[in-house]
Amino acid sequence: MNKNRQIEIWVGLFMALGFVALFFLAMQVSNLGTAYKGKTFTVTARFDNIGGLKVRAPVKIAGVEVGRVAGIHYDPDDFRAVVDMAIQAQYLNRIPEDSFAKILTAGLLGEQYIGLDPGGSEDMLADGGEISVTQSALVLEEVVGQFIFGKGQEGAK
Amino acid sequence: MTQQENNADESPLVRIRGLRFRRGSRWIFDGLDIDIPRGRVTAIMGPSGTGKTTLLKLIGGQLRPDAGSIEVDGQNVHALSTPELYRLRMRMGMLFQSGALLTDMSVYDNVAFPLREHTRLTESMIRKLVLLKLEAVGLRGARGLMPSELSGGMARRVALARAIALDPMMIMYDEPFTGQDPISMGVLVQLIRRLNDASRITSVLVSHDVAETLAISDLVYVISDGRVVESGTPEHLQHSGGEWTRQFIQGLPDGPVPFHFPAPGLREDLLEAAP
Amino acid sequence: MTHLLAQLGAWGLNGMARLGRAHLLLLPLLRGLLSILRRPRLLLDQLYSVGVLTILIITVAGLFVGMVLGLQGYYILSRFGGETALGLMVAASLVRELGPVLTALLFAGRAGSALTAEIGLMKATEQLSGLEMMAVNPQHRVLAPRFFAGIISVPLLAALFSMLGVAGGWMVGGGLLGVDQGAFWNGMQEGIDFSDDVINGVIKSVVFGFVCTWIAIFQGYDCVPTSEGVSRATTRTVVHSSLAVLGLDFVLTAMMFG
Repeated sequence: MNKNRQIEIWVGLFMALGFVALFFLAMQVSNLGTAYKGKTFTVTARFDNIGGLKVRAPVKIAGVEVGRVAGIHYDPDDFRAVVDMAIQAQYLNRIPEDSFAKILTAGLLGEQYIGLDPGGSEDMLADGGEISVTQSALVLEEVVGQFIFGKGQEGAK
Repeated sequence: MTQQENNADESPLVRIRGLRFRRGSRWIFDGLDIDIPRGRVTAIMGPSGTGKTTLLKLIGGQLRPDAGSIEVDGQNVHALSTPELYRLRMRMGMLFQSGALLTDMSVYDNVAFPLREHTRLTESMIRKLVLLKLEAVGLRGARGLMPSELSGGMARRVALARAIALDPMMIMYDEPFTGQDPISMGVLVQLIRRLNDASRITSVLVSHDVAETLAISDLVYVISDGRVVESGTPEHLQHSGGEWTRQFIQGLPDGPVPFHFPAPGLREDLLEAAP
Repeated sequence: MTHLLAQLGAWGLNGMARLGRAHLLLLPLLRGLLSILRRPRLLLDQLYSVGVLTILIITVAGLFVGMVLGLQGYYILSRFGGETALGLMVAASLVRELGPVLTALLFAGRAGSALTAEIGLMKATEQLSGLEMMAVNPQHRVLAPRFFAGIISVPLLAALFSMLGVAGGWMVGGGLLGVDQGAFWNGMQEGIDFSDDVINGVIKSVVFGFVCTWIAIFQGYDCVPTSEGVSRATTRTVVHSSLAVLGLDFVLTAMMFG
């Protein structure tokens, strides 16, 4: 009986340890811990070229994450990519409508994210609003091509 | 003492008819007919390699015959569904050569095992039954030991206690005397006889130990080359005229079972040039 | 020449027959789930001998693998000035690949071989046959609890391995080499996706646990019941499990991340 109890305790410990590890992987290692539990509102933006932008990429203002890319699709009518961003509800009506959306790269080879430069308008972005001023992703081949043909003026940032 | 049961039920407990069983291309049984009467000790004897253990496995339904039938208590073993076969096996006990005790359990738990698996008895009831069964084989004091701490003879006695735990109608003994010292051999001989007489269990004994087997059995079948060559009471066999049986019972080195493995003549073999 | 062909043919046929028997064994194993539900104690005992007894090797291996990843990753990443990606690199390689794969390999060596030897010896000493004659189905009573204990244990062990690996990487990276703590964890959290990486890693380890335990149990149950047969079956368990894990890992990775 005593031995049985020992086995029970050990197996219980093993199970607990295993689930703690899974929880750790979920909350501390992966993005599940950083996902917003709170509400979000959707803002869309249209880009000529989104480069390597992926769903769930961060949306940042002044380097601070305010939301995530919720969906990306191609609009065949105006030949542009439509990006839906889920912005945290606390910024509802706090982002100027004429903000500038850029697709940027973290570091030289890092992941791509969307950076918002707030504009000066009095009108704020509401749920379902659209950012009209956008800048496409920097595609390395194009930059190199422009550089070689001497047409490059914008250059790398 | 067997009179009353014979009156109660005259039909044999196990009826084997035209049994054929093949291993590879060799026929181990080729038209075997055996009747095992209820309530008595029946011995099946034969030289090593005649498939005596195989016969027990066939009776227990662990192997399938190629032809023929085996009926136990009126049920054709190999026509039963799995649940029916398992119900039948609960009424059969089998004592394996090695004892086949579960090595990760104590002696007590081994004997309690069939009770815990097949009955809904309370632990205190199981305890009583286990101690009684262990007492019957004289090992009540060894209940705390692990199987690895037992001698071969003790392991077989524990296995016997386990085999009778569910009070089966029949016990099959697979070579119970092999590799035992004279004392534990004597103990086993006595135990088998006593269990048979006390609880009217039908005993089937498979062995090639002539003296012990003849001493306790009521009926003996001698098999060779897949067939029954002789059968009868031990007295009958000892005075039987059959050449083969005489060689087997008296342990003569040469006879119908030749001493020499088949070979060309010694003279030709020796004179042949080395390859 | 024909002799060689005949041998090759016999080898192939034997292999196919074995594969067939292995799959036929799956049905009684799954059906054994019923008897486990009735007697959870059986599973508990096996979780101990299959899972708990493997924790030590998983702990030590996980910690050291994580530390090596931290060290190697740092040297390579610092050449590109990308030390901040160290956390991501350590965690990604552990959660996606090293955690499930190394756990499965260690499991096959530690628990799989023990399972095969145990079942093989039970067969050689007629214990399985004895159970059958006691009207107890050894496939349900002996094999199934071990099978499900393996399937439950491997994912938990793999999670433990990954967690300790990340901790080891963090100890070396953050503690020894002075990588920025915030960057270490942030990079990890941004780069590792819960459903794409963590869940897929868990799925992988469930598959590996299934395959490793299945192989171990089948080899034990199917072995030649002699001491030589058992030792050969044990070797086969480790070899077959390792090959199966590595092969399946490629297939699963191609399916999940491809």
